[in-house]
Amino acid sequence: MNALEAKEHPPIVYVVDDDEAVRNSLRFLLRSVGLATQTWASAGEFLASYRPNQPGCLVLDVRMPSMSGLELQQQLNLRGAIIPVIFITGHGDIPMAVEAMQHGAFDFLQKPFRDQDLIDRIQRALAKDAKSRAALKELARIRSRLESLTPREREVMQLMTRGKPNKVMAADLGVSQRTVEIHRARVMEKSGATSLAQLVRMVMDLNLESPAQTDVNPVKAP
Amino acid sequence: MDTCKALLQATKMTQPPDPSTISGTRPAHGNRPSSDAGALEPLHGRMLHVSRLATIGEMAAGVAHELNQPLTAIANYAQACDRLLAKPDADLGDVRQALREIAAQAVRAGEIIRRLRALARANPIERTSTDINAVVTEILELLQPDARLNEALLAVELGDDLPQVNVDRVQIQHVIVNLARNGFEAMNSSGSKLRELKIRTAQTVEGDIELCVCDSGPGLAPEVLERMFDPFFSTKPDGTGLGLPISNTIARAHGGSLGYRPNRPRGACFYIRLPCEPHA
Repeated sequence: MNALEAKEHPPIVYVVDDDEAVRNSLRFLLRSVGLATQTWASAGEFLASYRPNQPGCLVLDVRMPSMSGLELQQQLNLRGAIIPVIFITGHGDIPMAVEAMQHGAFDFLQKPFRDQDLIDRIQRALAKDAKSRAALKELARIRSRLESLTPREREVMQLMTRGKPNKVMAADLGVSQRTVEIHRARVMEKSGATSLAQLVRMVMDLNLESPAQTDVNPVKAP
Repeated sequence: MDTCKALLQATKMTQPPDPSTISGTRPAHGNRPSSDAGALEPLHGRMLHVSRLATIGEMAAGVAHELNQPLTAIANYAQACDRLLAKPDADLGDVRQALREIAAQAVRAGEIIRRLRALARANPIERTSTDINAVVTEILELLQPDARLNEALLAVELGDDLPQVNVDRVQIQHVIVNLARNGFEAMNSSGSKLRELKIRTAQTVEGDIELCVCDSGPGLAPEVLERMFDPFFSTKPDGTGLGLPISNTIARAHGGSLGYRPNRPRGACFYIRLPCEPHA
């Protein structure tokens, strides 16, 4: 499945730098190693055209007029974007680089850099992006499956994952054990879990991820 | 430094400042101020040089950053060429294009250094008939790194068909750099969201040439306004307190003046007015 998706949406390396020469040279370099590259002269222009469901990574200059690289990073964080950001900085921008890393930047490089250093980092960033997108997709799949449970099935699932025996569940819910067994079978069938352990895992993953639920919507399977 | 201070106090304005619009005064008598400057020239020149070197030192970070841009581009293009040429079916057209870019970027780096050196030279004062707009345009490349460093936009609005002025271009550029740096720092330290520094040239109704440097920072507090031409008075922790007094001295040596007015809608606007040359 992953290979197929990768074919549909090849990753794009976005370069945002206000210096035209740096921008053009990066595009030239990255294309010479076969990376699809798009360049932007300002953070604002990039943000206006950014599509979160496009896999890729961002190579971002720290210092730019109107919106700095750090501000763009914060805007992307606010939007719940998962795109990995590689900062490129001039001399003396180390405190800014530290701040960028604290806000979740993937990596940073000082200008000028060895091409291989940049290309290695880009490859790692693209791998990380693919991995996070796959994980998000998997979560979305689990969620949509669990969303198909009826309220009663959901109750049964919660009791199951707490390890309650059927007999106790039947008493708690005021139904027969037979009815609990039917609900239980439905939960396993709809969730696609092959064992109780796997079901517990699914519920835990979803709970862990629930504060950022909105992030997943853009990557819902087409 | 004591001699600097004495000199600056000797040339300091004597009129009480108007709180809203403040300006270094022009000499009251008919003597062309160039003769004043002539008498003081050795000391004055040395002091200017010291101040200019201090300014250049402060600018070094920005210049280093600015030099990094062409160097980065050169490195990127060269490494890409290396990769392209390693392929058996290398497209030489691509390689040639990259080589041209490399050459252009090397020239760009050299130009940045040339401009810095021009500013650092301890030239004797050399006044020539000059187009003020050319003076501004020439210095922009040195101001650009500061703008970048302070994440500010640098805008220029040059008046059309301005008469020539008789100035020492390096000195006037020194004033522009001083004023621009003040503007950047004011916008930076106040955390202004919209950071724009505008350099404008125009002819006033009196016929003088006015060059103003306006920022979108917090503007000047009244207590700062009163003391802004005092040597060694600075609102910046590491400021020399010489930028504005020296700029004022330079303006006066050219028979002009340096002044301040609030910028609209916000910020500070410093202007230097210079008498223009009579039409030939």
